[in-house]
Amino acid sequence: MMAGAPILEAQGLTKRYGGLIANNDVRMTLAPGEIRGLIGPNGAGKTTFVNLLTGLETPDAGSVRLDGTDITGLLPHRIAAQGLVRTFQVSRVFANLTVRENLLVPFLAAGSPGGVREGQDRAAELLDLSTLTPLADELAGVLSGGQRMLLQACAGFMIPAVRVYVLDEPFAGINPVVKDTLIALIQGENVGKGRAFLIVSHEMEIVRRLCPLVTVMIQGRVAAEGTLDEVARRPEVIAAYLGRAAA
Amino acid sequence: MSPRLTTGLGAFVDWRRVAVIAAVALPPFLVLPLLVGEFFVHILAIGAYYIVLAASWNMLAGFTGQFSLAQHGFAAVGAYGSGLLVYHLHTPLWVSIPAAVAMAAAGGLLLGLLVLRMRAIYLSIATWAFAETLRIFLGAAYDFTRGDLGLSVPSLYGHVRPIAYYYTFLGVAVLSLLLIHILLKSPVGYFMRAVRDDPMRAQSLAVDTTRVKLFAFVVSSAMAGLAGALYAHYVLTLTPSIVDFSEMARIIVMVVIGGMGSFVGPIIAAPAIYALNTWLAAWGEWSMVVFAAIVIIVMRAYPAGLSGLLAAAARLWRRRSKPSGTTAAV
Repeated sequence: MMAGAPILEAQGLTKRYGGLIANNDVRMTLAPGEIRGLIGPNGAGKTTFVNLLTGLETPDAGSVRLDGTDITGLLPHRIAAQGLVRTFQVSRVFANLTVRENLLVPFLAAGSPGGVREGQDRAAELLDLSTLTPLADELAGVLSGGQRMLLQACAGFMIPAVRVYVLDEPFAGINPVVKDTLIALIQGENVGKGRAFLIVSHEMEIVRRLCPLVTVMIQGRVAAEGTLDEVARRPEVIAAYLGRAAA
Repeated sequence: MSPRLTTGLGAFVDWRRVAVIAAVALPPFLVLPLLVGEFFVHILAIGAYYIVLAASWNMLAGFTGQFSLAQHGFAAVGAYGSGLLVYHLHTPLWVSIPAAVAMAAAGGLLLGLLVLRMRAIYLSIATWAFAETLRIFLGAAYDFTRGDLGLSVPSLYGHVRPIAYYYTFLGVAVLSLLLIHILLKSPVGYFMRAVRDDPMRAQSLAVDTTRVKLFAFVVSSAMAGLAGALYAHYVLTLTPSIVDFSEMARIIVMVVIGGMGSFVGPIIAAPAIYALNTWLAAWGEWSMVVFAAIVIIVMRAYPAGLSGLLAAAARLWRRRSKPSGTTAAV
């Protein structure tokens, strides 16, 4: 799996909120084309880590490199345009734009020599893959929770330069059919386009299926790294997280 | 790497539709002043002035989500900008008017920068404070602005026959609407609506929200500035009362009743409400009370406004005429 230079490299990321250390010296490297799981109990600092990676918050210390380029402290829209994209835990879509327009926004914003035409084609392709084609010209506000999650995920794929896609709890609270659609979408973009993924999730079954390696965060630190079954045997992981879930 | 905001300008404009609508909607307005009295032509001219203010504010507030309360302030910047240049420096109008538009645009940029990180109500308060400051300044600096005595400015055409000004305001309104339509049907228009719906999500999807907001502020202020400058050279006497909050309230009334974030609604509502306002002038301030009440009711009960009604009627009509209509089951 690990071959050549990493596509994403986080070093010593630290973030404090008053007395609370939300992220403490977090490091992680992602190989090109890898699908990594990020797990950990609630409050472990996973979302903070995602926010630090994608520029939504600035780290107090540490750095993020995307394909060798330092992107620490860049504004979120610059980071996204360079190919490090994210979704949000609570699905966020542009409710008063149509589904199709939701997809066009990131494409147009990131810019591509292919222009609007290429964007339309790509949007049509993703609408098909995500089974949202019949809803293409409806306002995104009418979508169900699962459909919003799908749309949110598809929007990121519209940025032509995407090399690392961070999905924050993409499977939370959506029905099995939508889950399968989303998994197929991720696998397709991964195999077909070599895109790397970092998937924050509590759904262990899906993590096991999708992610050869997982990183475990506990109390703001990286506690373990390995296959899901490996890390699940670590006593500190069991104590902090799986112990409770597996009981 | 991130493209310029003007990339792909007009990419989504359906030019045929624009041409058809212009061909159908414009002729009546070209002929109308020849059929009605001078006073009515005057009302129509000012109605067109308000179309520019309402549509430009709608682009900023309704489409970009920046609920500024300073649109009348930028009209005043345009009006006083041109007026003061002429009064103090005897500048010809073809210099003073464009200069006034530039001042309004620069003012829009400055105010936009100032309120960039403010949300909803804070932005409204700050922009309102800006307009109030301007009003007080125009009154207090009377040796420069002539304050409440009124600043006399020359007319645009050497006379004030309404018909010439009607066609002027109509032309400016049509061009402004065309520009706004092109912008909204461009990538930048998509970004504006994305910023309105969810700025953080927009940012995370590569949209440079700062530039989009500033762009909306600059363009809408410049339009208000142009309208204001032309207005000045029609009414001939400027007083700080053009920055009265009631002016802003009137713009809000027009846009809300027309339908915020709808392109067509405010265009219809602006002249209609101005005409009603004039007709109800016998009741003085009371007419504003009535309109304020209507605004509250519309916002509470039917935020889509006039345009929502029109759209609903159109849907009904289409369903009637074509019963096999494809109503998407969601």
